[in-house]
Amino acid sequence: MKRNPGFLAILTALLLVGGLVFAGGAKETSAAAEGALTIGYAVFNVGVDSYETYHNEHFKMECDKLGVNLIQLDAQGNVTRQIDQVENLMQKKPDVIVIWPVHGKAIVPVVKKAHDAGFKIVIANSPIDESGFDYIVAYAGPDNEKEGRDAAEMMIDAFKKRGVTGQKKIVELMGLPGYVTAIQRSEGFQEVIKQHSDFTLLATEPTDWNREKATRAMEDLLVRYQDLQGVYVADDNLGIGALNALKEAGRAKDVIMTSACIFGEGYDAMKEGYMHGTCYQYSGLDAINTVQVAVKVAKGEDVPFLSMFDSPKVTPENMDKFKRPEY
Amino acid sequence: MKQTTSAKRPLGSLRSFVTTQPIWAILAFIFVVASIAERDFLSLSNLSNILLQSALNGMLAIGMTFLMINGFFDLSVGTVMGFAAALTIGLQPHGMAVAILGALGAGLAVGAINGFFVTKVKINAFVVTLASFIGMRGLIFIYTQERSIVGQIDGFAVFGASKLLGLPTLAVIMLAILALAEFVLRKTGHGRNTYAIGGNAEAARNAGIPVERTNFINFLLCGLGAAVGGVFIASRMNAAMPTLGWPDTNLIIIATVALGGTKLRGGFGSMINTLGGLLALGIIRNSMDLLNVPSFFNRLSMGIILMLVVYADAKFKPVSR
Repeated sequence: MKRNPGFLAILTALLLVGGLVFAGGAKETSAAAEGALTIGYAVFNVGVDSYETYHNEHFKMECDKLGVNLIQLDAQGNVTRQIDQVENLMQKKPDVIVIWPVHGKAIVPVVKKAHDAGFKIVIANSPIDESGFDYIVAYAGPDNEKEGRDAAEMMIDAFKKRGVTGQKKIVELMGLPGYVTAIQRSEGFQEVIKQHSDFTLLATEPTDWNREKATRAMEDLLVRYQDLQGVYVADDNLGIGALNALKEAGRAKDVIMTSACIFGEGYDAMKEGYMHGTCYQYSGLDAINTVQVAVKVAKGEDVPFLSMFDSPKVTPENMDKFKRPEY
Repeated sequence: MKQTTSAKRPLGSLRSFVTTQPIWAILAFIFVVASIAERDFLSLSNLSNILLQSALNGMLAIGMTFLMINGFFDLSVGTVMGFAAALTIGLQPHGMAVAILGALGAGLAVGAINGFFVTKVKINAFVVTLASFIGMRGLIFIYTQERSIVGQIDGFAVFGASKLLGLPTLAVIMLAILALAEFVLRKTGHGRNTYAIGGNAEAARNAGIPVERTNFINFLLCGLGAAVGGVFIASRMNAAMPTLGWPDTNLIIIATVALGGTKLRGGFGSMINTLGGLLALGIIRNSMDLLNVPSFFNRLSMGIILMLVVYADAKFKPVSR
């Protein structure tokens, strides 16, 4: 009995010291020279899909290239975790805080807190709610609303090319409820569709950006609306999920699908004739754009409030001009 | 009543203190290592953040401690919290008072349902609270219609970010309630009964203690604690989403309380112990962020420390029985 307290303490000590030494080691590898700029980065969920994983790799590469220190905390899709992480990043006093928000509205109170404490904030990839615009320096990411509008235009064109007449019934698979990118891509799409009275949007289903959920949602929609003719997906990852359901139902060739954001597999699907339009939002460019904007903000240089990069339309006709994305 | 003395005299002797409640030694150790490894750890603003970040889990853990000392646990705390948060946001059009009372009422209602099925219908607490856990998740999705909802009263977010006596208001409230709960445990009949029933329910019943009533009240307290936690989280974001409290908040809360030294079998523990577990986990989470360690290490270290605490529990029976 008498030996045990010591044993317990030693065991604890070893494990914790081991853990923290490991952690210290992890920190060493991302440190650049003293006096270099530091970016504190609170990211949405690195593992949620290949776009974000690829984005993250390029983010780190660009930071290394520019000689910038990076402190990165992954919220793994948990909004309360992200709020805590932004607060913890503030303790490290970075030169600029970059946030890829889990939830556009829920993050506003902590963004205000960071702003009031004197930090400069750049929002990455998915915009925050307008009520937070006063507290950030810039948004660096794609123009999600334009992508939604483009996807709608491409769908209208695809139906025209097929010579479909009469009322066209379509459905929508959107991303994560509350996530501003999903909302903007949805609103952009619906805004254009509303202007065309020969199109009816039957339903919108959320998918949390998850491919399996997209498949299930598509299966449900196919059962509910036997006569649906088109589906708009918020990105190609969801598109592949929907395609799986369509192929199972034997309707993959007759249903017209367009998407707001390209992935590698979506490119392949377009080659095979299953995808009729998407937007070239290149993950690597997104990351590089964000890092460059963040560095400019850290140095105090002027940047446009909406630093959006181009994501042009990709259709079966022009797809050979574009390289297949690696993710 | 002798079996409660070890909980009431935590400073009996230093060795027995450290061995029967290892969390304090572990906490001290973690604190020292974190201070050395990371220079930004020891700042007032960082320590203040740790308290704020622990306030939410703290409220749930307070309710859970009552139940665990009583010999039960509640798997529904996570989703009750989520539902309470959703109500706090969703009912704002009727005024802040209605929103908060609605949220607390929902917590009490679920606590009552849990308590009824466990005490009156005599179904196992694991099964009953598992059912509430899953049912509440469904209810949250129905209420929010699968979308996240945002609050309209900006003052609520201001409250969530405010300070009282130099510390975050939410943390102050949590600590005050924790102190009150400790008082209830040590100085009131309900508290003594809770320990007694947790120690030996049959003996307690034979001694004339109102077993069913005590158990029921503790389920109510657990639901209420979860609801207050929901109000807290809603005030930090002024928004609520259907995924709050899912999937493993309940297990983390049980782990937090167990980490503090409250035994899962009941009859032993205290709110102060729970505070120890809470702070230990809060410091680990915080220092891992400051040290830029990947998030999953949090869970790993929580598991390791929990195993150490359980090991200590198995090695050292509480003094006197």
